[in-house]
Amino acid sequence: MSDEKTIVCRCEEISFQTISDTVREYSCSSREVKLRTRAGMGYCGGRTCRHMIDTIVAGINQEPIADEIQLSYRPPARPLTFGVLGGMQHDNESR
Amino acid sequence: MTMRVVNHPVLGKLPEQNRITIRFNGQPYEAYEGDTIASALMAQGVKTLRKHEMSGEGRGIYCNIGHCFECRVQVGDRKVVRACLTPVSEGIEIHSLTAFVKGGQTK
Amino acid sequence: MIDLLVVGAGPAGLSAAIAAAEQGLKVKVLDEFPKVGGRLLGQLHQEPSGEWWNGIEMGEKLHQKARLEGVNIQCEVSVSDISRTDFGWSVYTSVGMIKAKNLLLATGASETAIPLPGWTLPGAISIGAAQVMGNVHRVKPGNSCVIIGANVLSIAIANELMLCGVKVKEIIIPETGPVAKDAGVPEKVMASLMRLTHLAPNAFLRQAGKFGKFVSPKVAAQFFPKNGIRVLGIPIRVKKAAIEIIGEGQATGVRTVAVTPDGKRIQGTEQVTEADFVCIAGGLAPMSELASIAGCSFKYVEELGGHIPLHSERMETAVPGLYVAGNITGVESAKVAMAQGKVAGLTVAFNTNGASKKTEMLVKCALDDVRKTRANALIEFQPGIVEARERIYVQFEQERIAVKQAITVS
Repeated sequence: MSDEKTIVCRCEEISFQTISDTVREYSCSSREVKLRTRAGMGYCGGRTCRHMIDTIVAGINQEPIADEIQLSYRPPARPLTFGVLGGMQHDNESR
Repeated sequence: MTMRVVNHPVLGKLPEQNRITIRFNGQPYEAYEGDTIASALMAQGVKTLRKHEMSGEGRGIYCNIGHCFECRVQVGDRKVVRACLTPVSEGIEIHSLTAFVKGGQTK
Repeated sequence: MIDLLVVGAGPAGLSAAIAAAEQGLKVKVLDEFPKVGGRLLGQLHQEPSGEWWNGIEMGEKLHQKARLEGVNIQCEVSVSDISRTDFGWSVYTSVGMIKAKNLLLATGASETAIPLPGWTLPGAISIGAAQVMGNVHRVKPGNSCVIIGANVLSIAIANELMLCGVKVKEIIIPETGPVAKDAGVPEKVMASLMRLTHLAPNAFLRQAGKFGKFVSPKVAAQFFPKNGIRVLGIPIRVKKAAIEIIGEGQATGVRTVAVTPDGKRIQGTEQVTEADFVCIAGGLAPMSELASIAGCSFKYVEELGGHIPLHSERMETAVPGLYVAGNITGVESAKVAMAQGKVAGLTVAFNTNGASKKTEMLVKCALDDVRKTRANALIEFQPGIVEARERIYVQFEQERIAVKQAITVS
């Protein structure tokens, strides 16, 4: 696997290389990787890459994947418009 | 060109659907009522739905069930929807989201 | 007010809605997808009896039944947030806020990916995406494909794609690495494919299983023919790994390399297999996001596919008025999800209408049915599911006791 050419976080286009370098340099958690690299922070809310990030981090740090969810989910679980937030109906997903 | 599965050995023949016209980046495409934007365009062989904001690389559907948001497209003037979850309608205007360029404009 | 709001109109959510409505509850079901049925919609495989399991038909049956019982079903609605209130739940959706006394999360599973260079190209899609495109929308993502990932799901869907008229050129494995791990090690892949022999869901998978019944996975991997074995015309090549999805602007093929039984590249064996589209089959993991927002505690359980909200066998979580059912509680077949949904719906009725002997009997029967369905499951996604589930139920009871004690002390 070519680490630089392998994108892990599709939304933010963060590579396997960047993520594993960051974990090694800071011996950090999934959450810290997210804050440092933006991996898992994109439009989809980390839905596609969170398992990969957890697996990569657990592998490098040689720790089992924790019971607590590392990359926390915070509302909104789906992108919302200010219109919907303000009570307007059915205008989802606009940015 | 159509990629419709008309005859299926187990599911049977595809029921006749009303044909409608949708527009994607200004081009007209035939769609079936009941299609999603993604399936209508896929049936016409269109796979690239948007460009990545930063790199400008093409993207299309990935999960097809609303999880990954890769297929997001603009409908009308400003509404952004997931192509895989959004049904088509007659005359719907769909646009690719494009890459950012310096200065905050989109190209 | 609604007695029970169900998020997810798949096998679990619909079954729960039906069971609760039959007990007189006012039930509403939400789903993001334009069609009712959830993951049932794509499923199409042959039972050992020769009968076809047609998920679309089953979804339609459940839909009709739910409507008959007065369940209100709304599609194309996304849930963005949920919060607990003194009456139950406020659920924030793309069509506004919905209040409900009880909430059931039946959000199912999402696919796990295996990253490799080129997987962001248009035309590189998840295996489930291809299944939904072909079986639900009746559109082929292309005329030919390569599938990366040799597992129970990918083999079943390869067969479905073939029925749609897609030429599946080959099923190969991902290259092993920090994410793909055992999915890229031929002898490990063989071990998991060989488990399918006795519980294969159809003639097709039985064929896949037959090549290694009496030998060890290691030996089977060693003697696995270089050109793979053909199952209903689809070559499965467990010693060939994908190293890149290639194409200008969109996927046009896969660069591959031959690997040793323990997954190491063999120099000078690079090849390109051309294809109109490429599927990535990584597996499934429970969708935990709404349970997390609702405040559930989790356990990481590999056998069940990932992070599982702690729950009882009756599908209650430790959060009052919050229930779970289906693949959010662990990846299993749609039949198990339906049986679990019934348990959840009846439990909500039991807790809402006041305990009655009759409902208690119904719950017990439904629980029995879950166990039976699980025991007869034709596709066991992971070994050790029954044991893993028992552990979860024990941990849930321990936590329930701990929470009660904490409340008494304070």
